[in-house]
Amino acid sequence: MAAANMKAVKLRIKSVQNTMQITKAMQLVAASKLRRAKDKAMSSKPYLRIMKRTLTKIANENTDFQSPFTVPGASERRLFIVIGGDRGLAGGYNANLFKFVEKEIEGHDYDVLPIGKKAVEYFRRKKAGIFTDLYAEVAKVSISECFRIAKTVCDAYLEGRYGHVSMCYTNFVSMMSQVPKASALLPLSDFENPEYDDTPDVKNMILYEPSGEEVFNDIVPEYLAGILYTSINVSVASELAARRTAMEAATDNASEMIEKLSLYYNRARQASITQEITEIVAGAEGS
Amino acid sequence: MANTFHLQIVTVDGLAYEGNVQRVTIRSVHGDLAILARHINYCTAVGMGTARVLMEDGTERTAACIGGMLSMMANECRLLPTTWEWSEDIDVERAQAAKARAEALLQQGGLSEERRILTEARLSRALVRIGSAKK
Repeated sequence: MAAANMKAVKLRIKSVQNTMQITKAMQLVAASKLRRAKDKAMSSKPYLRIMKRTLTKIANENTDFQSPFTVPGASERRLFIVIGGDRGLAGGYNANLFKFVEKEIEGHDYDVLPIGKKAVEYFRRKKAGIFTDLYAEVAKVSISECFRIAKTVCDAYLEGRYGHVSMCYTNFVSMMSQVPKASALLPLSDFENPEYDDTPDVKNMILYEPSGEEVFNDIVPEYLAGILYTSINVSVASELAARRTAMEAATDNASEMIEKLSLYYNRARQASITQEITEIVAGAEGS
Repeated sequence: MANTFHLQIVTVDGLAYEGNVQRVTIRSVHGDLAILARHINYCTAVGMGTARVLMEDGTERTAACIGGMLSMMANECRLLPTTWEWSEDIDVERAQAAKARAEALLQQGGLSEERRILTEARLSRALVRIGSAKK
């Protein structure tokens, strides 16, 4: 009986070891990819800052300024851009995001634009209105595709299909912490306060060509594309960080399990040896 | 150096160039334009085309410049293109392949509206790249 038990334990150890190998490999892959993703996410920050500063300047300096992007749309319908992951096995990354999104969309008439395989699957299952599901793989979304997304979203906004556009993604706080976050994209309301204004004051002396409004309206989609691209990069970095943490925990768990199982295995082995000795001794005494 | 000005080219992938230059030529939404030192404070949206930068030492570098905006403030020029590739960095083979692929797709037809626009945009970007690389 003991021998059969020992065999089962040995098999179990073997299978846990195999799993551990996989989780360890995934952890290492995520860690090495994470470094690149983090750099990428960081490098787009200056672009956004300068872009935002210029837009703020235009919005503040033209007194008769009016752009359809800054006034709230008439429609009650909202569009949510949700940036999820492509794969599972990343701890609570996707689950946390969707829980957060549920809270955001509650009580609104909405459509979603899911980015990432998991997000597309989730909203399909939910039978939510889907704006487009072309962007199923978040890791493969390029800057030009972001631009395309931003353009279609802006067009839909101008047509009055949506009165509000916001985006849900996972913010990369640190290696250990990634928090789901929502940010409003349209209407652009935060351009009224000149807090970004640290350039020399050259009020009303800027020549806009063709005109302030046209430049503004041309740049808004670019700006949104920039935000989208950055958020996607940040989300990818978050996913990798979440996966790395999850896999690290899994690896630790597996090694703990192996330790326990080996202890059990050794005990069982010892017990069977003791039993054999007892049997032999008993046999010798009997003869 | 009175005839140079400071230029920053910032893309979403980071800083592409920073330094003093004599002249920047780009294609804006309304056509080609050149910026020289002491240009009036100016701001425009950038179209798609070949950009040329005349460096401080008189050498000229070209690049494929697509989308974004350009601003000139108090002799400080900031160029924020959606994509910016110096012509020596352009992978012509890749651009040719992209062009051929896009052309084949468009020829074949039957694409959804969304896909068609995406493919057309790809084609025009590939054309800009090829055009910028040759010069």
